Amino acid sequence: MMRRALAYLAAVLAGSALGLGSALFMAGLWPPGRNLAFGDVDVGGWRSDFAVGSKAADPYTRARVARHGLLALAKTEAVYFTRATDDAGGRLRESCTYRLSGDPMPAAWWSVTLYDGASMLPANDDDALSIDAEVAGEGAWSAIIAPRRPAGGAAWISSRAAGEFDLTLRLYMPSRELLAQPTAALSPPHIERLSCEGAG
Amino acid sequence: MRRWIGPFVVLLVSTVAAHALTLHFAPSVIMAQAMDALAERGVALHAFTPPSRVTPQTQQVVRSSPDLYYALCRYDLANPGATLAITMGAWPDYQSLAFFDARTDNFATLRGTGRSVSIRLLPPGSAPQPGAIVSPTARGVILIRRLAPDAARFAAAAQAGRSDACRLERLAS
Repeated sequence: MMRRALAYLAAVLAGSALGLGSALFMAGLWPPGRNLAFGDVDVGGWRSDFAVGSKAADPYTRARVARHGLLALAKTEAVYFTRATDDAGGRLRESCTYRLSGDPMPAAWWSVTLYDGASMLPANDDDALSIDAEVAGEGAWSAIIAPRRPAGGAAWISSRAAGEFDLTLRLYMPSRELLAQPTAALSPPHIERLSCEGAG
Repeated sequence: MRRWIGPFVVLLVSTVAAHALTLHFAPSVIMAQAMDALAERGVALHAFTPPSRVTPQTQQVVRSSPDLYYALCRYDLANPGATLAITMGAWPDYQSLAFFDARTDNFATLRGTGRSVSIRLLPPGSAPQPGAIVSPTARGVILIRRLAPDAARFAAAAQAGRSDACRLERLAS
């Protein structure tokens, strides 16, 4: 009788642990750093959840957004794309220098901002956290992502103190075409790795 | 073999139940923690708190945009008859007034580029009224975003924010 009770108790405990762990895993909340593996839209490696901010979002999306995109707007107001790898598939990291480049965006205003592995702005005082539509101007644009200000006056996004990082592209007042057919409407910004410290 | 069927079924049911409960409660728990953290950091109840410009040193929530002016107002409409009068002051560029309930749902967003917006927020279960939004939960957060990508524009946005209001009132009977 005692053994049987213990078997049921063990089943409850194991089941609870499995359910908790699987829910956190499938929602991208655990282990840390898995939040970028999700999204229902992928444009050239830039991933987005167009369900973010809406009540219709599935429970996995909602749980993940609650942790990593709290107080995010619905897609009619703004859409967010995130990318953590360069064009060659390498993880974005502070020790490398990258060129971020792109074309005009299908939105009234846009920005690309760098966040560290904890989804926070990197702890530096370089005042170079992002590039936006006003800095980019008309036509094609580019910026250097590096831990130190580049020579020559190029637009700069500082990766100092970021460790492994990702980029978030925000598109405010996005066009209807972008919401309907993101892969056709968005020309995804390129991330070219130029060099890495310590690399031969 | 048969004696393991019972524990195995209990294992399956416990797994499914814990999985579903975790997903169900995760947004509420995370939002409650965030609201407590906002309160600790000085975000007022029933008032828009003038923000500092978002920097690595001042950021309060994950993935804040350094290009925007954020003004937050926490609300609690749990007391019977409570309602909230909200005004977003005029701003020449993009601005929005977004409402989030206690489960992180963005249940309403009003855009106000170039103009002021006024609205009332009613407690859960209220009958719809013109010029009013019904909150799905008693507690939540209201967020004004203004496009202000540099220090000068941020200072101007803060000036515009003097016209913002998030005031608790009694529901008209």
